[in-house]
Amino acid sequence: MERVRSPGGRSSGLLPLSYLGAAVAALVAATAALPWLAPELSGHYYQPRVLALTHTVTLGWITLSILGAAYQLIPIVLERPLWSDQLARWQLGVLLIGVTGMIAHFWIGTWPALAGAAALVGLGAAMHVVNVVLSLRGFDRWTFTARLVVLGHVGLSLTVFFGFALALNHLWPFLPGELFPTLHAHIHLALAWWIAPMLMGVSARVYPMFLLAPEPRGWPGRIQLWGLAVGAPILVTGLVAAPGLIAPGAAGLAAAAAGHVVWIIAMARGRKRPGLDWGLRFVLTAAGFLPLATVLGLALAFDLLSGPRMALAYAVLVLGGWASLSVVGMMLKIVPFLVWYRVYSSQAGRAQVPTLAALGWPAAEAAAWALLTAGILALALAAALGRVDFIAGSGVVLATGVLAFAASLGHTLLHLVGRTSARATDTKALAR
Amino acid sequence: MTVTREQVWSALGEVFDPENGMSIVELGLVYGISIHEDAVQITMTLTTMGCPLHHSITDWARRATMRVPGVGSVDVQLTFDPPWSPERIRSVPDHTAWPR
Repeated sequence: MERVRSPGGRSSGLLPLSYLGAAVAALVAATAALPWLAPELSGHYYQPRVLALTHTVTLGWITLSILGAAYQLIPIVLERPLWSDQLARWQLGVLLIGVTGMIAHFWIGTWPALAGAAALVGLGAAMHVVNVVLSLRGFDRWTFTARLVVLGHVGLSLTVFFGFALALNHLWPFLPGELFPTLHAHIHLALAWWIAPMLMGVSARVYPMFLLAPEPRGWPGRIQLWGLAVGAPILVTGLVAAPGLIAPGAAGLAAAAAGHVVWIIAMARGRKRPGLDWGLRFVLTAAGFLPLATVLGLALAFDLLSGPRMALAYAVLVLGGWASLSVVGMMLKIVPFLVWYRVYSSQAGRAQVPTLAALGWPAAEAAAWALLTAGILALALAAALGRVDFIAGSGVVLATGVLAFAASLGHTLLHLVGRTSARATDTKALAR
Repeated sequence: MTVTREQVWSALGEVFDPENGMSIVELGLVYGISIHEDAVQITMTLTTMGCPLHHSITDWARRATMRVPGVGSVDVQLTFDPPWSPERIRSVPDHTAWPR
């Protein structure tokens, strides 16, 4: 047997926790705003405050979560440390200013300052891409996950570039074609070449680890990779230049989604983990939203359905149901791990230490799961119907679910600030 | 005092993966134990390469083994050849909450 040293990077955990904390703050803000924005959400989505809400979710919540998780998961999925923690810390500052500036200026509808904030977001994204590219120097294990992580970072660069171009276009119109197809192309670049590759790539590596299941292999992986790599550019080209390509592009993305769901089902069925914690229940529930979103997306692409209400319902299912519940689930795994690593890893073998499950708050996690799942389904339905009262009610349910989720994370983080008292509590509980 | 393999296996049974609460013995992470007088050598793996717990788990295994009466030194060797797979899991008790 060949003996090797594990290449995993050793990190304090504070860097990913900082990103994840900022992301949760964005989620709390977004869901708190939902009931107030119900009148706008019942109409057309292209309104300043709805754009502010959308970017709070996509940039503030989902993107900051992916970036924070990347600093914890990249050493695991790529089996090598991150090139620079320092660069990642500076990047967080740049992104926080940029994302906050973008959201604020969307809210008040001020385009010149919005373009400036978007430039800062572009700088932050570039810093992240440089960090990942330099981490990959000499990399030669081109696994499914590694390929999708690279695709995701190409997609992040293009999405930010496209978004910045849209912001500049408001000041000095230069983009050819109509606004909405270009806007839809920007959204689908973000979804299919940034969010989807990162979620699908990382899940193929870490879900087997959490579920104690065999690593997924075979044709579903090829379908995911090629469906995203080819389907997204075809769809985007169709949206901005050749409408005949929209349906084939959407079909490619639907195939990728199907391959992902097949893998998730295979992992869930092949698991040797005896019980599912709430983090795993969240990620499996998230996978259940993907077929719903895909069917609605295909119906829109094939012109079986149309209009801003259906488009908003689709966005709620894919960004809220699939992406957000996946991120919530992964966060319920990552945050306790980071806290355990920081507080208890040095005690292991010297004193009794808790499991990660003991750091969580299952009642709050269960409440969050029920409220978020029900709230997203209700919001998608309410958006499709255009009912202000239903949208406001769904928003209240979602905001309550997010508070339960944040409370659960807060309970875990208390171990960081009260190491002594937390350990005493654990010891008493262990003695029972 | 003679150290036995059973004592070492028993000591390693106290070392658990904090993520799932299962011991490294139940998970099948321990590939081999060799004993020469009071010196113990443990060959083990992790569930995944790049696992950030590699220092903690190997130190934990070393400390647990050092508590076995008669053990003078412990050398923990980490290997990923062959890589771990779920087929190596010996049993699936429900460890979803507190450690034993």
